[in-house]
Amino acid sequence: MPELTQNIGLLSPEFALAGLALGILAIDLFLPDGKKQVTPWLSAAGLAGIIALSLYMLWGRQETLYGGLLAVDAFSLFFKVFFLGLGILIIFTSMEYVDRRLDNPGEFYGLLLLSILGMNVMAQSRELLTAYIALELLSFCLYVMAAYAKGEPKSNEAGLKYILIGAFSSAILLYGVSMIYSSVGVTRFADISLALGSAGDVSPALWAGLALLVVGLGFKVSAVPFHMWAPDVYEGAPLPVTAYLAIGSKAAAFALILRLVAEGFVPAEDLWSQWQIIFAVLAAVTMLVGNLVALAQTNLKRLMAYSSIGHVGFLLAGIAALAPSSVLASNGVMLYLVGYSITNLLVFAAIIAFFNLTGREEIVDLAGLADRQPFLAACIAIGFFSLGGLPIFAGFAIKFYLFVAVATGGFLWLAGLAIFASLISIYYYLKVIRQMYIEPVPEYVAAGSEREDGIVYEPEQNLSPSFLMLGVLAISMLAVVLAGVYPAPLLDLIEAASQAILPGA
Amino acid sequence: MEWAWLIPVLSFIAAPLIVILGPKLPGKGSFLAILAIAAGFVIFWAVLSGFLGASPDSSHCETSADTGSLVCDYQQEWFHAGLASLDQSVTLTWGTLIDPLTLAMLGLVTFVALMVQVYSLGYMKGDPRLGWYYAVHAMFAGSMLTLVLADNFLLLYMAWELVGICSYLLIGFWHERPAAKEAAKKAFIVTRIGDVGLLVGILLLWSEVGSFSMSEAFNAATTGAMSEGVTTTAALLLLLGAMGKSAQFPFHVWLPDAMEGPTPVSALIHAATMVVAGVYLVARAFPIFQAYDGDALLVVAVVGLVTALMSASIALVSVDLKRILAYSTISHLGLMMLSLGAFGYTAAIFHLLAHGFAKALLFLGAGSVMHSTEAQDIRQMGGLIKVMPITAIVFSVGALSLGGIPLLAGFWSKDEILNAVSQNRNPVFIATAFVVAFMSAFYMARAMFVVFFGQLRQGLDHAHESPWLMTAPMMMLAVLAAGFGLINFNWPGAFPGFGGLIYFHEAEDFHFNLWIGVLSTVLALGAFWLASLCYLRERISPDILRQKAPWLAVVVENKYYFDEVYQWAVDRLVLTVSGFVALFDRAVVNDVGVNGPADTVRRVGFVLRLHVTGHLYSYALAMVLGTVGLAVLWWLRSV
Repeated sequence: MPELTQNIGLLSPEFALAGLALGILAIDLFLPDGKKQVTPWLSAAGLAGIIALSLYMLWGRQETLYGGLLAVDAFSLFFKVFFLGLGILIIFTSMEYVDRRLDNPGEFYGLLLLSILGMNVMAQSRELLTAYIALELLSFCLYVMAAYAKGEPKSNEAGLKYILIGAFSSAILLYGVSMIYSSVGVTRFADISLALGSAGDVSPALWAGLALLVVGLGFKVSAVPFHMWAPDVYEGAPLPVTAYLAIGSKAAAFALILRLVAEGFVPAEDLWSQWQIIFAVLAAVTMLVGNLVALAQTNLKRLMAYSSIGHVGFLLAGIAALAPSSVLASNGVMLYLVGYSITNLLVFAAIIAFFNLTGREEIVDLAGLADRQPFLAACIAIGFFSLGGLPIFAGFAIKFYLFVAVATGGFLWLAGLAIFASLISIYYYLKVIRQMYIEPVPEYVAAGSEREDGIVYEPEQNLSPSFLMLGVLAISMLAVVLAGVYPAPLLDLIEAASQAILPGA
Repeated sequence: MEWAWLIPVLSFIAAPLIVILGPKLPGKGSFLAILAIAAGFVIFWAVLSGFLGASPDSSHCETSADTGSLVCDYQQEWFHAGLASLDQSVTLTWGTLIDPLTLAMLGLVTFVALMVQVYSLGYMKGDPRLGWYYAVHAMFAGSMLTLVLADNFLLLYMAWELVGICSYLLIGFWHERPAAKEAAKKAFIVTRIGDVGLLVGILLLWSEVGSFSMSEAFNAATTGAMSEGVTTTAALLLLLGAMGKSAQFPFHVWLPDAMEGPTPVSALIHAATMVVAGVYLVARAFPIFQAYDGDALLVVAVVGLVTALMSASIALVSVDLKRILAYSTISHLGLMMLSLGAFGYTAAIFHLLAHGFAKALLFLGAGSVMHSTEAQDIRQMGGLIKVMPITAIVFSVGALSLGGIPLLAGFWSKDEILNAVSQNRNPVFIATAFVVAFMSAFYMARAMFVVFFGQLRQGLDHAHESPWLMTAPMMMLAVLAAGFGLINFNWPGAFPGFGGLIYFHEAEDFHFNLWIGVLSTVLALGAFWLASLCYLRERISPDILRQKAPWLAVVVENKYYFDEVYQWAVDRLVLTVSGFVALFDRAVVNDVGVNGPADTVRRVGFVLRLHVTGHLYSYALAMVLGTVGLAVLWWLRSV
């Protein structure tokens, strides 16, 4: 098939990214120990170059590659640029942490770049096995990164748990794919929708296969009841990796789910209208459990894990509301992903900066932060207000838009439930803000003396986050406010991306 | 008029400026906030004169089919999403809508906020966080002004939430005090429960109408495009939001605690920027409430009546000056709701304004007293007129006005409400409303007599009159609290009267119903006379009720045990549910965290494997169960 390799040049950004990742790994081998700090800068510069390359080459293109396995369209481009940009910010957020606490920085950044490659292909793939391979590329990088703090048992345990449960879910996913293939004989999304649309009634193998497929993806986004791994892995993994898990891997999985559902399920209107309720139930359970259990958390990373599970519930509600004739829900999901990612980046960057200064990560350790580190406290507070959905921040705009889409899609009850779940979330976000702004600075912190449990505090007066961290914080804070006040330009891009996957709308 | 948007925007600009530049400016930048709101007040007059000169032929203006009054709507596209060719696109606008209702609220908010901010210069003098105080104040005023100017539900909801955040920050301003932070949290959470209803209501309207525009929603409700069930449901959901913000039963518990904030903040919250938002919302959405014979309005009336009666009775027995005023606010908000529920649109807004001026005055007066005596319990006060005459006189004007003494503003507005209730609701309502009127006169009289008249209490000799920065705003408010009622009259040829400006479909004349006027006058004077016997001349022991019916006194003094019941409900129900879910999650997920096993590992290496795999089994089990559940669900939907 000659058309198989036609237009292969359109994959240049992916080739470049793979080359960059391998290049970083190779350079790292030859750099002397004192010069390794150059790898993150090289990676970030490379990513910036690839963004420029992608925009230059792919803007306005609408094509498929490899006989329909990969799509080069506005949707792919949107997520590609989004993931690459996110990658740059994640690199900057990680630098100080990696420098001080992790070995082999070059490999860390190499893995990060490879995982971004996986994410990019996930957003482009229009076929189950291609998607699966991309997903595995991402997952394997994440397994290693979760266990990257080799000296720490917690990190090792997180990596082990993650890889075992991940392998289990991959098996389920593959099993689902094979059952789908055995009953309809195709794996491309578009062909699946054709098969579903013409099928008189759905064979048991097909619905079982679809259910297994959704379970496998549910694991990747940590939807309830497939979320069990998330709090443990979030807590054990090194902080920048936790941030990356909460932001990047989730966004990539949703990009895949969005394209799969929009191209594979939604065009089969009759069946999709029956199946929407399945996603709605999954969404309802996820948002309720995530937010309720978050109330009981005392560790910041676990709190963020459950909070992100709650947000996954909202996103799934948007998936449930997808409709063949409207791009509203798909817009809503993408806008939510962007807003959620930048807000989480702001919060995690502040937490990482705090950790770099103090080495602490419990909620009680934030006591009096407003007096100790006013800027960090303000960043976390703004991030939490945004996650809670309060106005002038991104969280308000994205929640409002998504809930409107869900209500319009015929799920008013689900929108109501989501608003109620947001109300619960406000409560635990306020708990943290209260720690920072209302609780006094503990004696042992102010004096730099020993706490009951024997941990010695250094006086913090002279400590200040590094310029790099301050820069990342300032940029993401600006983005959070900008997206909350004037999301119009962003929505124009999202609109084009939505039309690429929902041509009927 | 097209510049009306400047009114809130000026305050919004002032807020960050104060935070950023404040430390380098004299007075920590407080003058910026005052300048912004003063400019807003000036622009308000320009807008008002522009509106009075406008006609339905002016550009952007028309006679609204939904309210029957002139409406001017200025829209500016904010962002557009979704395809323009589809009806499911979202165009969000920064639209300002100017009609008589908006103008009334603009006047109230800008004036009261200006007075309160000037007063705060004296009251908060020397506070280390003065800049922050004024910044949030400016935000607060800007949010409320946006709320009343919004021409669509999205902007309204956004402003509504901002008002909530600002009140949270201001009530908890003295966050060193545990009571203040608890109160701030309570206010935030309780009002947000109502907000859930509001947002669901807005989404319901959107999914029916396909737009956030208020006028389109009203149109759909009045023309019958929206079915009766949907309209009534939407109205009730909006009411839920209004009840939360306006502290209506059963959401009233947050307002009395909110007085933990600085007193000028209470004045602002109670008079202009927060609690009246709920009444405003019901008035604004009146076409939705009133459609299909106004079934929803009956609920509004009942809620208002219950609230008014319950809180008036609590105000009778409170001994904390600010709490008396707080329960009085709840009671009067209840009266406004009752009035709306009895189709008394004009009367409710009239009372909103009259009460706003009087209540701001009373709180500022109470602040002046506390500023000088540092006491809040009225039992420790007495005879203060001898040392702080100005405060005493202006406070008395406010108390007499709210108590409904004839010719003062509160008398006229209360009469209009009683009138509406007697015409449109059954006798139980009007009888109860009279009881409330009597009680409200009595508790105002009690506060006034106990605090300012009689013998000067020992230990209060050091008390002194407050500085002019504080007394001047009070005096200006006192003029309005006394004379605002004049606006009610119809001056033929010159001024159509309040009812000729603010009305729903039909302009209302000034009406005076003789028996209602006489009866309410008798009740008000009687209440003041009775209170003077009890507290001034001490002929009657105020404890007589306590002796005759001790159980009643206990129930009322404990505020009908609402706080306790809610506390119980939160502890027993909500936390139990949360605990149960968490326990379930924990039984399967190892919620102690990875810490536990990791510590063990250091001692016994192989335990890790057992421990972890033990958990992993359960994780996998949960996944399998979930898979089966999902598959069954899929099967059910597919066959």
